[in-house]
Amino acid sequence: MIKVKNLHKTFEDLHVLDGIDEHITPGEVVVVIGPSGSGKSTFLRCLNLLETATEGEIYVDDELITAPKVDVNRVRQKMGMVFQQFNLFPHLTIMENITLAPVLLKKMTKEEAVKRGQELLERVNLAEKADAYPAQLSGGQKQRVAIARALAMDPEIMLFDEPTSALDPEMVGEVLDVMKDLARSGMTMVIVTHEMGFAREVASRVLFIDQGVIMESGTPEEVFGNPQNERTKNFLSKVL
Amino acid sequence: MAEWAANFSDLFYKCFIREDRYKLLLSGIGVTIKVSLLAVIIGIMIGMLIAMCNLSRKKILRFVGGVYTDVIRGTPSVTQLMIIYFVIFASVQLDKWIIAAIAFGINSGAYVSEIIRAGILSIDKGQTEAGRSLGLSAFQTMSRIVIPQAVKNIFPALCNEFIVLIKETAIVGYVGLMDIQKAGDFIKSATFIAFMPLIGTAVIYYVLIKILTLLLGRIEARLRKADAR
Repeated sequence: MIKVKNLHKTFEDLHVLDGIDEHITPGEVVVVIGPSGSGKSTFLRCLNLLETATEGEIYVDDELITAPKVDVNRVRQKMGMVFQQFNLFPHLTIMENITLAPVLLKKMTKEEAVKRGQELLERVNLAEKADAYPAQLSGGQKQRVAIARALAMDPEIMLFDEPTSALDPEMVGEVLDVMKDLARSGMTMVIVTHEMGFAREVASRVLFIDQGVIMESGTPEEVFGNPQNERTKNFLSKVL
Repeated sequence: MAEWAANFSDLFYKCFIREDRYKLLLSGIGVTIKVSLLAVIIGIMIGMLIAMCNLSRKKILRFVGGVYTDVIRGTPSVTQLMIIYFVIFASVQLDKWIIAAIAFGINSGAYVSEIIRAGILSIDKGQTEAGRSLGLSAFQTMSRIVIPQAVKNIFPALCNEFIVLIKETAIVGYVGLMDIQKAGDFIKSATFIAFMPLIGTAVIYYVLIKILTLLLGRIEARLRKADAR
């Protein structure tokens, strides 16, 4: 579903990604872990072209999306993204947040989008908040709306960029629950997170990235139970 | 005291009532308002265009925007007005006031573009990223997500620019338009009295701008209220 070949990303002198090769298959839940500054967020952002790769190729459904003439907007519609800072649109109601893109991009009529929005809000347990504004919601509620908003475009892949890092501890659970539910439904997911317990429970595969390269890749049991790489061991000993 | 009052009313009569001179000022107010309103509209349109140029990823557009702002800010508005009137529109048949409004609009556009640019940059980058990540185009993201939020930040500065612009139009006499300033000046020459027509001119400008400030303040309060939710 997603194939990454020799991905490099440099910011001026900084080599953030230093040759990433990765293959993500449909239905996989890939959790990306690693120290801060390791390049894991940049890797995720390259996948939906929020960052332009300096070198290398990314294929989504066998289409080369790093090609210069590719229709970026169409590619992004296949991939939902959830941000650390939620990035809800504060001038729109929750329902408008969810329906804006599907209606504007003519995927649905207004009525269909609202109906779908209602279903999605029920799915994230926020049906009663449809007419509220983002400022009236708690952090955990905002992030659940953000997930619903991304799902409204019926993406094939969901990308999560540290979705719980900006949350108060007591709200982390409610967001992770929604994500677990999504994983069980068969959604292909790539998740950058520091929640090791979650990674262990939900991931079908764990990637450990450090200094812009994938140091280790395997099932949670392999990576957490029996890490091969010295740096992985070091990192895990600090966070577990 | 009575003497002073008599003197005052005499001056008032000579300057504003005799030969229906107040009519000059009234039509002057009309000219000032006409020119300012059209100039503001042109200024906002040009300002948006130049702001987009300055924020563009294309180097050539940024260059064009930069040169525009630089040239307009680096030359006096009287000079710009006269160049536009006597050189650029020399052989074009258009009402004087429209040409003047175009000149002030071109001038104002440079300042408005900076106001709009700053307003757009004040919106968090995450908003743009969220819009684009949903598959919206750059234009859709700008028009549906960024600009509606930026308007609240831009509005007060834009009001200020509008007020500056109204006062700036007091130089349209240079191209033969009879606005408030020119009308006051004309009365001064005709009556050989300086005090009354000039103070009158100042009072008229002051009242106009006061009314406008109050109006715009109300609109701003409304915008803020919508923000409080």
